[in-house]
Amino acid sequence: MTDVRDTDMMGAEVLDESLWKIRMRLLWRSFKRNWALFSQSKMGVVGVVIVGFFGFLAILHPILMATAWKGQEAIYDPVIGADSVIVEKTVVTEVTDPSTEMSFTEAMITGEFFPEEGMIIEVPIAPAPPNAKHLLGTDPFGRDIFSQLMFGARAAFILGVIAATSAVVLATVVGSVAAYYGGWMDTWLMRQADLILLLPLLPLLIVIGSFWEIGLWQLGILIGILSGLGATAIILKSQALSVKVKPFNDAARVAGGGNRHIIVRHIIPNVLPLSFLFMMFEVTGAIFLEATLSFFGLLSIPMSWGIMINTSHTQGYTLFGLRAWWLLFPAGLAVTLFAAGFFLIGRAMDVVVNPRLRTR
Amino acid sequence: MTQTVSRDTPMLEVRNLVMNYGTKDGMVSAVEDVSFTLARGDSLGLVGESGCGKTSIALSLIRLLPDNAVVKQGEVILDGENMLELSPEEMRMRRWDDISMVFQGAMNSWNPVYRVGDQIREAIDIHWDEKPTVREANAKIAELFELVGIDPSMMERYPHEFSGGMKQRAVIAMALSCDPKIIIADEPTTALDVIVQEQVLEELRQIQHDLGMSIIYISHDIAVIAEITNHIGVMYAGKLVEYGPTVDVFARPRHPYSWLLLSSTPSVTGPRMKLAPLEGEPPNLLDPPSGCRFHPRCPFATDRCVAEEPPMEDIVEGHRLACWNHDQVPTTAKETE
Amino acid sequence: MVRFIGKRLLQMGLLFIVFLTILFFLLNAQPGDISQQFVGNPDIPPEAKEILRARLGLDQPLFFQYLNYVKNVLTLNLGQSFDHFPRPVSEILLQALPRTLYLFLTATLLSYLVGFQTGKLVAWKRDTPIERFTMVGSIILYTVFYPWFAILMLWFFGSKLGLFPLGKFLDPEKWFDSPYTANQVFNMMLLSALVAAILVGAVYWFTHKIVEPKPRQRARRLLLALVAIGMVVFWMVSPMSQYAADIAYHTILPVTTLTLVFYAAITLLTRSSMLETLREDYIFTARAKGVPEKVIRDRHAARNALLPVTTSFVLSIAAVIGGGIVTESIFSWPGLGLTLLNAVTAEDIPVAMGALAFIGFLALVAHLIADILYAVLDPRIRVES
Ligand SMILES: Nc1ncnc2c1ncn2[C@@H]1O[C@H](COP(=O)(O)OP(=O)(O)O)[C@@H](O)[C@H]1O
Ligand code: SF4
Ligand SMILES: [Mg+2]
Repeated sequence: MTDVRDTDMMGAEVLDESLWKIRMRLLWRSFKRNWALFSQSKMGVVGVVIVGFFGFLAILHPILMATAWKGQEAIYDPVIGADSVIVEKTVVTEVTDPSTEMSFTEAMITGEFFPEEGMIIEVPIAPAPPNAKHLLGTDPFGRDIFSQLMFGARAAFILGVIAATSAVVLATVVGSVAAYYGGWMDTWLMRQADLILLLPLLPLLIVIGSFWEIGLWQLGILIGILSGLGATAIILKSQALSVKVKPFNDAARVAGGGNRHIIVRHIIPNVLPLSFLFMMFEVTGAIFLEATLSFFGLLSIPMSWGIMINTSHTQGYTLFGLRAWWLLFPAGLAVTLFAAGFFLIGRAMDVVVNPRLRTR
Repeated sequence: MTQTVSRDTPMLEVRNLVMNYGTKDGMVSAVEDVSFTLARGDSLGLVGESGCGKTSIALSLIRLLPDNAVVKQGEVILDGENMLELSPEEMRMRRWDDISMVFQGAMNSWNPVYRVGDQIREAIDIHWDEKPTVREANAKIAELFELVGIDPSMMERYPHEFSGGMKQRAVIAMALSCDPKIIIADEPTTALDVIVQEQVLEELRQIQHDLGMSIIYISHDIAVIAEITNHIGVMYAGKLVEYGPTVDVFARPRHPYSWLLLSSTPSVTGPRMKLAPLEGEPPNLLDPPSGCRFHPRCPFATDRCVAEEPPMEDIVEGHRLACWNHDQVPTTAKETE
Repeated sequence: MVRFIGKRLLQMGLLFIVFLTILFFLLNAQPGDISQQFVGNPDIPPEAKEILRARLGLDQPLFFQYLNYVKNVLTLNLGQSFDHFPRPVSEILLQALPRTLYLFLTATLLSYLVGFQTGKLVAWKRDTPIERFTMVGSIILYTVFYPWFAILMLWFFGSKLGLFPLGKFLDPEKWFDSPYTANQVFNMMLLSALVAAILVGAVYWFTHKIVEPKPRQRARRLLLALVAIGMVVFWMVSPMSQYAADIAYHTILPVTTLTLVFYAAITLLTRSSMLETLREDYIFTARAKGVPEKVIRDRHAARNALLPVTTSFVLSIAAVIGGGIVTESIFSWPGLGLTLLNAVTAEDIPVAMGALAFIGFLALVAHLIADILYAVLDPRIRVES
């Protein structure tokens, strides 16, 4: 928090070096200091690793599509691709192992000919278990799960960034304005925040999702607005309030700084660290909402982790559990881990931002 | 071990108490070889700059130190019995019964969700030999409230309905509720505004006089100590540097630190000249100065002070201090007026 | 206190009107006029369209439509379902309401009771293996993607172990010759729980005037035991008991699943609230008074740590409702949430909007109750200085 002030004071001295160089160096120094604090929390580092892993997956997808899977969009595209893995099965009277054997009736339906005992026929299966061609198998429509997983990571990042950025930008402005001006402006903004906090968010979004076509961007901005005017605004306002009473604001005012100048140059920079912290929690919330709405099939998103779960659920694989683990586990774990990653980062950042929480 | 405790054994005797706090940067030497006695019905003031270890001593006496604190050495003998040897459960039963405390932040000493009377009764229920009925306990609380100047009906009220001064008085009433042998008052008036401070001090002195109990009064404000105690201990950086009858120490502080402390505070009894200001900061107790801990700030310091630690010695009967060059210290400021 | 509640009631009423306003704008902003929506539905006669237009006052200016809407909702005049034409919306919703209430109340109460105790003990046993284990478990439960977790629970306990029925509210075979409807039995269950709660409250209220703690405790124990015996006897002799047992059996898995997640959240919250409280001066005072450690933990620390936990409930109402909807959907629990989801899928706008209004109302009532509870728990609010 003090770093911003450092920059200003140093800037006034203007040594031989140019101003931005000094700023960069100070920034780097404060980054190193904060990282040292942050990395004290093992959980926080775990969070960074998790998020990094998903970042890698998200980048990997377009690369794979352009190299290894080039020209094979029909197979590997997460949405319109389809591939059925061919399995050879022996026709038997009594089926003991469904993965290598099949009954006469089944053979008749799939084979379009009259089967005989002991005959080996080739059957396409979807969902197919993991194999060399599809590392994580295919979904009930024959689409590659690994490809969907990577594509979903990208969707998750896009949504997270939109929601978190819009929420925090909005909340920072609202919080700073409410704290700085006070009076009716404060009352209005805060009552509004209370109201938003009371709204049953999920049911509301369910209805909105059924009235309009909601895509990733719309959802991100919607979440951003609701949260930025709601809970996040309240928290950032109290932070801004504590910054407002600091002496350098009076100094700035005495020096002839206008309201907007003081808000932009002094209050907002001091609220920023906390804003940044809340972006992490925001991502967690946004991902959960998206995945839940997708799970209900209420969003117009081509593919996401929530849709992957929705597909297996609606296609009746819910109770297959471990027998079709590649349908339920990669997507479910991805949502959980992704959200947990940001949550852990947020908790560890809390220690950096709130000196009160530091250990002795 | 039955011991006949004669009328003139001291109520409390602290011998060579050493207490450290373990931190991740090392040991904080918060109490270093402190010894003093407190006679029956007597009042002792502990004075010194903030952070010199006054609270640490108080907490050692009632054995309520934070987890990272270690009592390295010493004895705390209360009425003939070493408190440091009691089991935790025995010690718990002694707290408040034998030693009660009025705290530094007495404003927040009350649990906000219970009535003040009920919180006092909690102590009574634990410590009275025969557990009284609610009616009996309330009668006692009413009596105590009268004593400290609060309307007895207030015991039905919650802490937030009390003003700061009333809360502090109620704490005093609570401290008296089990007729303790000693009361430790740690900065009891620091958080109050000046007028209320005066009133509370006056009441405290009155009560101590009336009930004839022993009291240890802790403050960073030497003027306050002068008003209500008859013995005084001056602490510096974890060490007791001067101990004696309040009148004597005030009339003639012989330790350079006491002398500076007295001359740099506005006088209790009249205007005083500023002889030498007390400069510098108290030392970091993680790594206290060698020899006499005061030497970096002492105007009389010599090489010997840096190398050797001065022992606590009786200069006059009952007036002890630790300084190599105490004869250099001018006679009191008053005389130079 | 009465003034406080009155003020809150008024606020909540206002908030509900604001909520209805939002709903009205949603309804109006949606693409197309509502009466156009069911042109394609062959089940609905054309006259119904005119009735609907008249009921909603669609020919009148927007502001009158708005007033009309608010009046309709407040008088439970919600129209007829498109999907189950001509069942009135209010009937559908009133049937679903108790089921949601049950899920919501049981899960909330259980998770708060158990979570608070766990959080309290965990904070007290800081830096022990038990603490670490509980913390890791709670963080996992707290961050797990809830629909996925619910599916796994259903699969594991319902399908793999076969311990519990797979979703649904009751077992039709057992109800084949039942003289009661499911709702009758269910409402009786809720009613008896309510009566028990009121009796327990009454016991505390009447014994609270006994000054001495010993006789007070004795009286309380005796009366509470009487209430408990009364409940047991009532259900033993009641002819409904076998059906009630069937419903109760069906509720175990959904309630447990929903409870687990909130339980984790409450545990985490109570722990940090306890750790804050343990640093307070009055805890130190209690120690100095010689209060035994267990009493310090329960009567001093936990009692105060309860306050922020109660406040947090207000903030988590939205989350609880969201979790409830997911639970109802995955366990086929026919409450308001499932009704809402089905209505949305079937484009049954009257039911969807009605369900939304009901849920919003529930949220406000929950908020009101939490506020009052907080005031009861915190004398700084209850007793004005
Ligand atoms: N829990 C603790 N851990 C480490 N150091 C402590 C702790 N409590 C007090 N100290 C240190 O011990 C010294 C004495 O503190 P204290 O007894 O509170 O002084 P006083 O009451 O005279 O102001 C100070 O330097 C303080 O920083
Ligand atoms: S011993 Fe030396 S340094 Fe210490 S107080 Fe005396 S003169 Fe000063
Ligand atoms: Mg102190």
